[in-house]
Amino acid sequence: MKSVKRTDWGRRTPPIGGTNFELYAWFFMRISGLFLVLLAAGHMFIMHVFNDTLNLDYEFVAARWDTPYWRTFDWLLLTLSILHGTNGLRIVMHDNIANKTFRQLALYGLYFTSTAFFILGTYVLVAFVREV
Amino acid sequence: MAYQDIVSTGSVYKGRTGMWLYLFHRITGVALFGYLLLHIISTALILAGPEIYEGAEAIYKNFYFRIGEVGLMAAVLAHAINGLRIIAVDLWSKGSDYQKALNISAMIVFIAIFVPTTYKMIDSYFELCLEKSSAGTTIVDCMIRPLPDWKTK
Repeated sequence: MKSVKRTDWGRRTPPIGGTNFELYAWFFMRISGLFLVLLAAGHMFIMHVFNDTLNLDYEFVAARWDTPYWRTFDWLLLTLSILHGTNGLRIVMHDNIANKTFRQLALYGLYFTSTAFFILGTYVLVAFVREV
Repeated sequence: MAYQDIVSTGSVYKGRTGMWLYLFHRITGVALFGYLLLHIISTALILAGPEIYEGAEAIYKNFYFRIGEVGLMAAVLAHAINGLRIIAVDLWSKGSDYQKALNISAMIVFIAIFVPTTYKMIDSYFELCLEKSSAGTTIVDCMIRPLPDWKTK
């Protein structure tokens, strides 16, 4: 491939009269992605490599959640993965659903689902008290 | 909202590695979001107590789901490493000059992490299955039996 001298053609034009939401959303994906590499890959290695999910039981989870640090770790992972995933899916829907009505319906469905699962996950992390 | 009225004239990507990585990133992203929702539900069952939680967990403790876990690990690693490549291209001033090198590095890093983790996950599965099951259980039993008899030992 022929090499091209870099020019200004990639520079973003600010929206006229719009908001910078899309710019911040784009930047958020990079920053949250960076944190998720540590949080999600860390979680995967702890649960699937350093431990084995065959040993996963009530006691294992209860012991982790005895410390507020792991509850905080899990809550950060929950929050960032839901926000990162919701924004990702929002972009996928914008790109792939041409019909405006269907797209709006899909987006509302996505926002409702994400909010519900964020509330459920947060509730579990806050309300869990070990029974045994 | 003018951009919504633009009529598509077909693919805007130039194909080759970049396009496949773009597509792969979207597919793994959507799949991981779907898995995340299921994972939140199954973990939320812990509020119902040890019996219900461990009953639900027992569904996953077989070789079919172990293959699924390897697939999950592949999706997480691929999405994470390709995400780091995207960050390098977007936020590092020299990133777009080294796209080919970054593509190749991402694939090498993926293989270098994925191969040993897969080995560990498969090896550990058989070791624990044989250790926890009753005497006479073979590797083939561990592979084809839906639920190894953990309790009988």
